[in-house]
Amino acid sequence: MRPAADRPTPDTLPDRLRRFFYADEVPYGLALVRLLMPLVLLYPMLPRWMHCREYYSTDGANTPLWIQYGYAHMLPEVSGSVAVALYTLMLLCLVTSAAGFLTRVSLVGAFVLYTYFNLLDSVGTMTKYSVIASHVLLLLSLSQCGSVWSLDAWLSGRWRRRRAWPGEAPVEWPRSPAWPRRLMQLLLGFVYFGAAVTKMHTPAFFSGDQMRYWTIANINFKNPLGEYVSLYPSAIVAACYVALVWEVLFLFLAWQGLGRRLMLTLGVMFHVGTFLTLGLRVFPMLSMVIYFAFLNEADVRSWAAFFRRRLRRWGLRPAWPKQSAAISDMLRLPRPAVFGLLALLAMFLGPALEHRLDPYGERRPEGPYALREMDPARALTMLAPSRPIRVEDKIFSFDVGTLTVGGNLARRKSEFRTGESLIVEIMMSPPYEDMWVECILADDDNRRVDGIGQSVVTREMARGHFCYTVPPSLDPGRYWLVLSCAGKEVDRRPITVSSARRQAPLAN
Amino acid sequence: MKRWLSHLTIIVYLAALSWGICSHTLRVGTGAHPVMYFLVWDMFCGWSAWNTKSHIIGEGASGKFYELAPPPWGELHPFGSLDRHDYDPSSIFSARLAVNCLKHTDHEPIVRVFVVEENWPKKFNLSDDLWALRYGGPKDIQRYYRVRHVLTGDGQLMQTYATWLEYQASVCVANNPRLRAETRKGAPLFALGAQQSHVNPYSAGPRFGFAPASPLPASGPTGRAHGN
Repeated sequence: MRPAADRPTPDTLPDRLRRFFYADEVPYGLALVRLLMPLVLLYPMLPRWMHCREYYSTDGANTPLWIQYGYAHMLPEVSGSVAVALYTLMLLCLVTSAAGFLTRVSLVGAFVLYTYFNLLDSVGTMTKYSVIASHVLLLLSLSQCGSVWSLDAWLSGRWRRRRAWPGEAPVEWPRSPAWPRRLMQLLLGFVYFGAAVTKMHTPAFFSGDQMRYWTIANINFKNPLGEYVSLYPSAIVAACYVALVWEVLFLFLAWQGLGRRLMLTLGVMFHVGTFLTLGLRVFPMLSMVIYFAFLNEADVRSWAAFFRRRLRRWGLRPAWPKQSAAISDMLRLPRPAVFGLLALLAMFLGPALEHRLDPYGERRPEGPYALREMDPARALTMLAPSRPIRVEDKIFSFDVGTLTVGGNLARRKSEFRTGESLIVEIMMSPPYEDMWVECILADDDNRRVDGIGQSVVTREMARGHFCYTVPPSLDPGRYWLVLSCAGKEVDRRPITVSSARRQAPLAN
Repeated sequence: MKRWLSHLTIIVYLAALSWGICSHTLRVGTGAHPVMYFLVWDMFCGWSAWNTKSHIIGEGASGKFYELAPPPWGELHPFGSLDRHDYDPSSIFSARLAVNCLKHTDHEPIVRVFVVEENWPKKFNLSDDLWALRYGGPKDIQRYYRVRHVLTGDGQLMQTYATWLEYQASVCVANNPRLRAETRKGAPLFALGAQQSHVNPYSAGPRFGFAPASPLPASGPTGRAHGN
């Protein structure tokens, strides 16, 4: 038995927390987030520059978030030219953040201005992805992410020592505590957990109905795959449960080993899925960029070694740019001065260019734009009292099949044998009142052959099912399932009935 | 000192995130302050079976109608194919959008501005080939309109109405003779407060606008019929 003094002391909770938050590391992961995040944000923010007078200033129609919360004047609202100048400065800060030029100042500027402009336009700019981006910019500005793979690092001469591939000693990248990266990881875990809570609050999520409606909504970018997926509601229900379990578990499992690989892989699949089926673009890109915060030093070194081997195999030798004489001259300029000069230039050129482009068209030779006149008949239709909803619009779908999964018809079918059971599904489009629905079997001459079922579909049911066994006495041929509400035919589906297969004799 | 500052940052940040989760889970104070928007992760807010678009229409002194959104100088589609004003489902900012359009355009005097909601079943959003595969037959789209707000020419709110979905839900509840009779018996002689209209689907208040048993006249914004 080892003496007590030689035994390793057990890890206490404070020790583990200290190691979790304060382990020294080279911030490769955060550097990658810093490199990519501003580029992702430039994708939605650059096109808004032309509209920034309209969206973010008192010379337009800004839509501050605080008004929705009942606050009249939470932050100052600026004039058109000031908004354009500040917006241009924000774009500059995003670019310099990605480049890692005067990184901390750039990130602080990007965080403050990006958050401010999002708050100013709650309708056309601010979404939950911009909130997540604000959090990430804040955390990056608190970190040492500019010490790696940045202009700052290059200008300070770190890259001149040796080739700077991670893992190639003896490059001494500066190390810093891990806590900003940990907070970014925790942020993502909290985001997913909160999203799961929202789904738990929404019973219609678990029937797949709401996801189905989302896949065919046109509120996001085009998503033709989503429309196709909406034809398979059972698959949507299964995906809903997988997504929910993943969102709950992420916060607890995404830290190391198999759990981390599984959670991040599922995360990538989830976000790619939202891009393909829901038409989301920025949110998936942004979330996957934050996944780089889950990379640790060992991951980056092994990736770097892998790419180095590949490059050697292809006969390529990575060479970092050497500092030219011009760069050396530039090194003598103090970086804050260069940044300040760039900022002043942006804040002057931005409004000047915007003035020239004349976004409202007020300085055109033909004068301001005229309002577009509407067809009076169309306008009066819009202003007339609402029409009652047609019965057929209260029915989302009317299907027949043989199997339900998760309360949804999973196997649609139109050919049945006598003696076989079929399931008729009526999916409703809320809101609708309690409705009397009836389904009958009719022949080609629209004569009633049999009743399939009749029932009240109450307003909270969302869907109704009728089960029916095709009677053996029914002649083979084509029939119609006819759906009626309050005595009015709403929809019909053809089915083909064939004779039951005769059982072959087992033996003579 | 630096270490203590980082301790403080970690504690404050995690406390804020935790408060967001608790607030959201227990539904306490989620709308207390705009900061809560940064802490509550309610990305899946629910999706209805109906597609909604909005229209902002100006009525000129001559009786002509004009489209005020999207503005004539062009619009950015911020998140897809819809215009910016379509992402304001509560039409909170319609007045600002209308006034800004009027401010920067050439037009006759505008006497009224209408904010109109347009709705249609989402199933009609399916592409034609998928529609044929799924439903068969031609698409017979019926669009449903409802006036949400009526504003003066300078953007002052004159009348406001519930959303089309809220209104239809109230119609479903109101379509009940027993409830109608009980409501009639229980209706106070005098109005008790503005919130009453939110809970009584038979009230004449503009929030619901459906007033089959109302002792007060309820008119649509154009003054022609009941229950816009």
